Amino acid sequence: MPNVKNWQLGRDVAYRYDESRPKKQWAIVFDLNKCIACQTCTLACKTTWTSGKGQEYMFWNNVETKPWGGYPLGWDVRILEQLGRQDWAKNGDYLGQTLTEAAPPKEWALHWEPKDEDWMCPNIGEDDCGGGTVDGGAHLQTLPHDKWFFYLPRTCAHCTYPACLAACPRKAIYKREEDGIVLIDQERCKGYGECVRACPYKKSMYNPYTRTSEKCVGCYPAVEQGVQPQCVVNCIGKIRVMGFISPPWRARKDNPVDYLVHDKGLALPYYPQLGLEPNIYYVPPIHADPRYLEQMFGPRVHEAVARYRELPKDPEAAGLLCLIGSTERIIHRFEVKDGKATGYDEDGHELVTVPVNEPVIERPAWDARIGAIRNNTP
Amino acid sequence: MQRLRAILIAATLAWLAACATSSTTLVEQDPVAMTEVPVAKVEADLSAADPWAAYWNASRPAKFVLIAQQVVPPRPDRVTTDGIQVQAIHDGTRVAFRLRWPDAEPSEAGRLGEYSDAVALQFPVVNEQLPPVTMGAAGMPVHIFHWRAQYQRDAERGKPEITDLYPNASIDMYSMEFKDAAGGTQAEREQFNPGVALGNPQSFRKSGVDEILAEGFATSAVQAGHGAVARGEWRDGWWTVVIARPLVIDGASTLRAGAATSVAWAVWQGGEREVGSRKSVAINWVPLKVQ
Repeated sequence: MPNVKNWQLGRDVAYRYDESRPKKQWAIVFDLNKCIACQTCTLACKTTWTSGKGQEYMFWNNVETKPWGGYPLGWDVRILEQLGRQDWAKNGDYLGQTLTEAAPPKEWALHWEPKDEDWMCPNIGEDDCGGGTVDGGAHLQTLPHDKWFFYLPRTCAHCTYPACLAACPRKAIYKREEDGIVLIDQERCKGYGECVRACPYKKSMYNPYTRTSEKCVGCYPAVEQGVQPQCVVNCIGKIRVMGFISPPWRARKDNPVDYLVHDKGLALPYYPQLGLEPNIYYVPPIHADPRYLEQMFGPRVHEAVARYRELPKDPEAAGLLCLIGSTERIIHRFEVKDGKATGYDEDGHELVTVPVNEPVIERPAWDARIGAIRNNTP
Repeated sequence: MQRLRAILIAATLAWLAACATSSTTLVEQDPVAMTEVPVAKVEADLSAADPWAAYWNASRPAKFVLIAQQVVPPRPDRVTTDGIQVQAIHDGTRVAFRLRWPDAEPSEAGRLGEYSDAVALQFPVVNEQLPPVTMGAAGMPVHIFHWRAQYQRDAERGKPEITDLYPNASIDMYSMEFKDAAGGTQAEREQFNPGVALGNPQSFRKSGVDEILAEGFATSAVQAGHGAVARGEWRDGWWTVVIARPLVIDGASTLRAGAATSVAWAVWQGGEREVGSRKSVAINWVPLKVQ
């Protein structure tokens, strides 16, 4: 297998095909500190894309509770268990094996295949805490608290080195040159399910009615129009932003995704050790067990948590986080100036300007103009 | 007691011998190792693929070794079907192959993570220049007839709906498909079933056997059929599948009496999660002798 450059691991990795980076790479950044698992993203995706026959069980976007939730059941622990213990170097580079490197000789990647019952409990483990049993009186008395959980919204990561694409015997899966979105050609797919077996994130799903495999399409028709995907624009918590990520050697500080991932180191790919260079990035939850976070996001997670805590002193980063969710269009460039954050489209046109800090206006309780008492009841 | 058993055995053997000479009953013959497949001419109508017709008595089963597909990953861990028995006959316009292999239990797929038992016959498109047995090569196409238990289920009982596969599935409604009347046009409703909307042959009811042209791995393309028929039955740990096709198919493979041609095959064990390139295959092309 050829060697390809994986910047998330700081080294080359083995992959079936040569390195071929798209002109732009679709990416989503999620702030996990803000997600409340309302599942609006899940339903926005469901009603847009998977209301057809054979798609009943499909959630191309799902939100699960970590550490106990998982859709399909145990998708993460089952592949981690197969991969076995692997290690990171002190400088954050990966010393272990990736899925393609650990592949048995007759396979393209280490994998497992979910059974139908594994897909049947999409919300299993919801709100279940990690950190041992909750005994009486285990309420919040001290911080950090030893009981924790967080919500993990997930879409296809439109990986730079997709395992699904490598595993497809029919070459029916392709990565678009213009935006890096990974698609299964519904005309060519023969439903062998190799992509379902190979994707460690389990974001390829077999449709038993059309007998083809299907997956998140990155809302490419919207993206082609400069609009962010449905799961992003419908996020009521404004926890996510879709944009285009550059590899670090082409990163631009004024690109929102580059800024969060490369410049500030606030957002990290999940399970980068699997070696696929996934392109969904997470601002880690600052209250969860750091050991668990390190397993999921790698050793750089501790710095990211520390930086998140410093955000109140960082008007630029805080300004960008205010921009997130303020426009449904894709922000290619942003700037924060004079207490305002502005997002621009690909052609440099202004999309939206928001205040970094909302002005506080105090009004007297008595409104003399209309002769009535004001209250805050909507 | 021993005497009674001897009489019973003798009587059974006599009955079997009588059957063998009868033209109305099929008798399974012991297969023999061969290096080619003789195609006997029979006076029979082969337009219905019948695995149990007496005319199969005219053809001695030839047995061939299969190996696990070796060329492209993903490959099977081990060979799951190590041999196949082949009989072949023709009626002047059609040629029929009767294929038998052991399988502990039948698998017809349908639900998630289930795969179908299947068998395929492969012929060169140009007899004079044999393509690689591994599904041909660019400019050297092969012509494939692919039977799946799943496709036969379609032919016999229709393409399953989700509630056939999962009887307890709870579905409120599908877009534009309401309880009392369907809304929109068929094309509008099909938009919600991508494979169907794009005309992927995999997404439609199958006739039992697919006709395919290929020029190497990953290139197989389902063709409009030329009237091939197939029928299989699983009995007592064995699949017996008959695939019957016209001798001459313009633009694809052709079999003629006296003319040299070849055949190859592949078997998939659905219960062992074999599909696509995970299969047992012929070691090489086998010459066909059409009488």
